[in-house]
Amino acid sequence: MRTIDKESVMANVLTLFAELARDWEYSGEISPETFLFADLGFESIDAVVLASHVQDHYQRQFPFPELLAELGRRQVKDIRVGELVDFIHSHLDDGSR
Amino acid sequence: MRPRTLLIGLDGATFSILDPLVREGVMPFLKDLLRSGTRAELTSVVPPLTPPAWSSLMTGRSPGNHGIFDFMRFESRPDSRYLRMVDSRDVSCETIWSIVTRHYLRATVLNFPLTYPAPRISGCVVPGWVPWRHLRLACHPSDLYDKLRALPEFNARELAMDMSLEGKALEGYHQLEDYEDLIKLHIRREQQWFNILRYLMREEPCELTAVLFDGVDKLQHFCWRFLDPELFPSSPSPMEVKTRDLCLQYFRTIDRFLAEIIASGGHDATTILASDHGFGATTEVFHLNAWLHQQGYLNWNDQRQLEQEHTETLGIQTMARRFYELDWDRTFAYCPTPSGNGIYFSLPKHTGGAEQDYETFRQQVMASLLGFTDPATGAPVVTRVWTREEAFAGKHTAFAPDLTLSLRDGGFVSILPSDVVLKPRPEPSGTHRPQGIFVAAGPGIRRGASAAPLSILDVAPTLLYTLGLPVPENFEGSVPQQIFEPSYMKAHPVSQGAATRSETGVEHSAMAMDVNTEAEVIKQLKALGYME
Repeated sequence: MRTIDKESVMANVLTLFAELARDWEYSGEISPETFLFADLGFESIDAVVLASHVQDHYQRQFPFPELLAELGRRQVKDIRVGELVDFIHSHLDDGSR
Repeated sequence: MRPRTLLIGLDGATFSILDPLVREGVMPFLKDLLRSGTRAELTSVVPPLTPPAWSSLMTGRSPGNHGIFDFMRFESRPDSRYLRMVDSRDVSCETIWSIVTRHYLRATVLNFPLTYPAPRISGCVVPGWVPWRHLRLACHPSDLYDKLRALPEFNARELAMDMSLEGKALEGYHQLEDYEDLIKLHIRREQQWFNILRYLMREEPCELTAVLFDGVDKLQHFCWRFLDPELFPSSPSPMEVKTRDLCLQYFRTIDRFLAEIIASGGHDATTILASDHGFGATTEVFHLNAWLHQQGYLNWNDQRQLEQEHTETLGIQTMARRFYELDWDRTFAYCPTPSGNGIYFSLPKHTGGAEQDYETFRQQVMASLLGFTDPATGAPVVTRVWTREEAFAGKHTAFAPDLTLSLRDGGFVSILPSDVVLKPRPEPSGTHRPQGIFVAAGPGIRRGASAAPLSILDVAPTLLYTLGLPVPENFEGSVPQQIFEPSYMKAHPVSQGAATRSETGVEHSAMAMDVNTEAEVIKQLKALGYME
């Protein structure tokens, strides 16, 4: 049984982005449809640090390398905020630690 | 009034550059500081590299104990191999910042590596090596970033890591404009750190104030031939003259900052100037993995096919190559990073799963490395090979490279495939040397003295001693008595304290990188001067 629902994860992730994006050159709204690399200008190192923030928040490890490896196989090498939330939510109770 | 101490780090600073600059009048304040204090060479750790060396300075412990060997940590699991960036959670020994806090003192810590995520100390931390987009959440305390943001001329992109600014190094430096952009960026970056330091010294004064200026290292990597008096031509071109002038402008700026910081600290504060390692010229490239391949220890997959597969990997183009290129079923020894000069073994596969005589294999590789000679001259190229027990004795030995080597020109190895194992560089570059700098001035410190070389492990006990704190019994260095007046030492004997508290950094939640991200980080290391 999940202890954290998806809406709560989305709220947490959007809050994190909202906090960080105050200092970015991005004036648009950050939504589930926003791309991390194309829209927010992320570089890979930003993704590493973002993952670290997420893991700190939930006090657990997530298989982010698997997510990035999957991204590398895609036609469009990018990820939407909503997909990130799906990934976090799907691994919240799968025993990854 | 409690004692106060300033620690000013100059990443990679070496007396072989600073002394000529002092003589030429480029750094008049440093000249005064040397007259009013004691100088010594500061011997770094093995390897003399930013993360292990600054970690040793910050903890008073050697890499085998604090667990930091490189920018990245290699982990092998049954079904996968990972490289991941190390961070503060990997430093498994207590830092001086934490010790100071335990003694109810405050510390300001600016731009030191391995301080992200920031330790929850009493004082302020702005970590180094943080991507600028994440700087807000990286600062401690949580309201610090907004205060810094309000400072005149604050620019997070220039203060922190921004690959769009630094990445130009990947394209190489050939024109005056390329060097000018790099040097001016670092002058602006140091100005940003100086502005923050000045603000915090005024608004949040602490007993221990520490700042690291890391542009010294970066300039020396890329501009060594303009800085080293032995390499600078007697009849320089206009471009060479202009580039050297820009480099001197950087060092004049540092000198001015030193003067202002130390003046702000007050005459009763102790000042310690230190670098994590020294610098010298590198004139050739040793392709270590290519050499391991020639010796039969390492094999690559089909390269053409791999390049075709990975030319569009996430944000890194053809940089995502290295791990893809290794055939792990036929690779028994390999160098995973271009910065640590370390070789890891993959022995179970070497023997098809049977027990391997590790020591026999290690001796075999060591002997081969030491026997490798320059085909043109017959001179040895590898000057020393350390076993992990020699270089990294401590509780983390098992995670360290099986072998770590030193090259005759002090350079970093290349990890890339190459048909030719040893290649001359088109032009000399700067690379690390073990001998860094140490300068101390203040109460009780001998004036105008030159001391025998110290260990970087001596800096942490010295800092605590100058703050009037006991030196933990498990520190591996000691307070160098020769830098103090005997009467001062007599009046202020070193007091030994309990062992430092162990940190739980090893069980951290840092994210492992996949090969794509790891290759991006390697690209960033190249941009920061760790060239192949």
